[in-house]
Amino acid sequence: MPSALLPARSLARAAVRSAQHPVSECIAPCRMARPRRRFHSTPANPVQSSPTKRSVAAAIPQDHAEHSDITTPHNTAAGTPVQPLSQEQHDFLDSALRVNQAGELAAVLIYAAQTPPLLRAHPHLKGLMKHMHDQEVGHFRYFNSILAKHRIRPTAMYPVWHAAATVLGWGTAVIGKEAAMACTEAVETEIGTHYNEQVRVLLDWADKLEARGETLGEELTVLIEELRRIRDEELEHLDHAVENDSKEAKPYELLTNVIRGGCRTAIWISEKV
Amino acid sequence: MASARSPSALLGTFRAASHRPATAWRQRCSYHSQEYTQPPPFPPAESAILTSALSHVPSYGFTADALRLGARDAGYMDVSTNLLPRGVFDLINYHLVTQRLALKSTVQFPSTGDQGKKLGTGAKVRTLTLARLRANEPLIHRWQEALAIMAQPSYASTSLAELARLADEIWYLAGDESVDSSWYTKRASLSAIYSATEVFMTQDKSKNFIETEQFLDSRLGDVMKMGGFIGALSEWADYTAHSAVNVLRSKGMRV
Repeated sequence: MPSALLPARSLARAAVRSAQHPVSECIAPCRMARPRRRFHSTPANPVQSSPTKRSVAAAIPQDHAEHSDITTPHNTAAGTPVQPLSQEQHDFLDSALRVNQAGELAAVLIYAAQTPPLLRAHPHLKGLMKHMHDQEVGHFRYFNSILAKHRIRPTAMYPVWHAAATVLGWGTAVIGKEAAMACTEAVETEIGTHYNEQVRVLLDWADKLEARGETLGEELTVLIEELRRIRDEELEHLDHAVENDSKEAKPYELLTNVIRGGCRTAIWISEKV
Repeated sequence: MASARSPSALLGTFRAASHRPATAWRQRCSYHSQEYTQPPPFPPAESAILTSALSHVPSYGFTADALRLGARDAGYMDVSTNLLPRGVFDLINYHLVTQRLALKSTVQFPSTGDQGKKLGTGAKVRTLTLARLRANEPLIHRWQEALAIMAQPSYASTSLAELARLADEIWYLAGDESVDSSWYTKRASLSAIYSATEVFMTQDKSKNFIETEQFLDSRLGDVMKMGGFIGALSEWADYTAHSAVNVLRSKGMRV
């Protein structure tokens, strides 16, 4: 696995490296011709490192002090400077959070559309469906507020995802309980992986900054915590789906692979538009 | 030879300070956060020249003359205006960007209105749009020149992008928090209304631009009516679709 992991790591590292010279970037950004990079990494590498040790950053490097009229890293209450984000970091947050909102919109609609046909055949699933739907609504609200706060535009494909998610949820529920659960399994696998990638990139930024005695800032620290909580809840849904015989869906391979491919395409499109 | 050397020295410092790509990305910053201080949108030398150039626009129009006089006023040589690669359009763009950013401080909404009730988003949008239009007032007799320059093919995309940013700024300052498809329709309709009203204002001879205000109100009213109609239509479609599905379910179909 480490070899597959390498390019993603180096990309994230490169982004942080460019953040280390925000001053030179302001003076001569055209000279540092950087291609726009995307923070993609391989799936199935859960993040284990803990962000809690970030609070012990002590020394404040003053190497940028003479340029403080250009970029002013202002200080938090703890006295640790918060560096402004680089353009790549802005772009990453912009597309990542937009994808998150689109994903949660789809999740809410999938569960909402699955519920009536599914409960007709299996009334005992009522509690589970309600629990999962309510959690997704919570996530959706959270990302809506984040998008409004940071002035990120929602995806232009909003109505398309709206329709596609409803059709997907309703269609799989009509096929049967197993198909519906296989759909949940496929979607939550993709979403969980996607959140993992984001958390990994953000923690990488935090580690790099911490090594220089700086922090990501309050907002991003909270964002990491929220992303981890949401990821854990999505993976919990995945477990529920497997417990409810998702693996027994009839064309299991076909169904899950088609849905996962669709999810990845939707994520890719939502990153762009 | 001092006079020959000083323009090149000036050129060097100016070039270093005028980091156009950085300016460009700052304007299209995607992820906004209150935690980071926003750097000024223009480097100091450029904004000094352009600010004083703007004060010459009422008498000289959006011309190279105004730019040259502005540079002189700011203590730079005439030749320094050559460092603005887009010439007069840079002057217009400076006006557009600074006035857009100024909206945040010029328009303040009280937390509660006079009658103790809060101002609605629509009213806030109207106030902000009017405030932005009023910022064109000192230049309004020259504004058609600016509109003509903005419409040139090489500048049209930049001008449209700036218009979109203005619409975004107005909705943001009005406290609108919708992040669904209406995000796009709101900004598109406000952009259309704003540009139409701006053109109307250049020909408005009424006292205190009262006719412009009426024009804006009727355009906003049109959009309100249209939005209400579309909302009612989609509600009806939604209701009908749900009823149809429920009828099918009541007939025993497994849907």
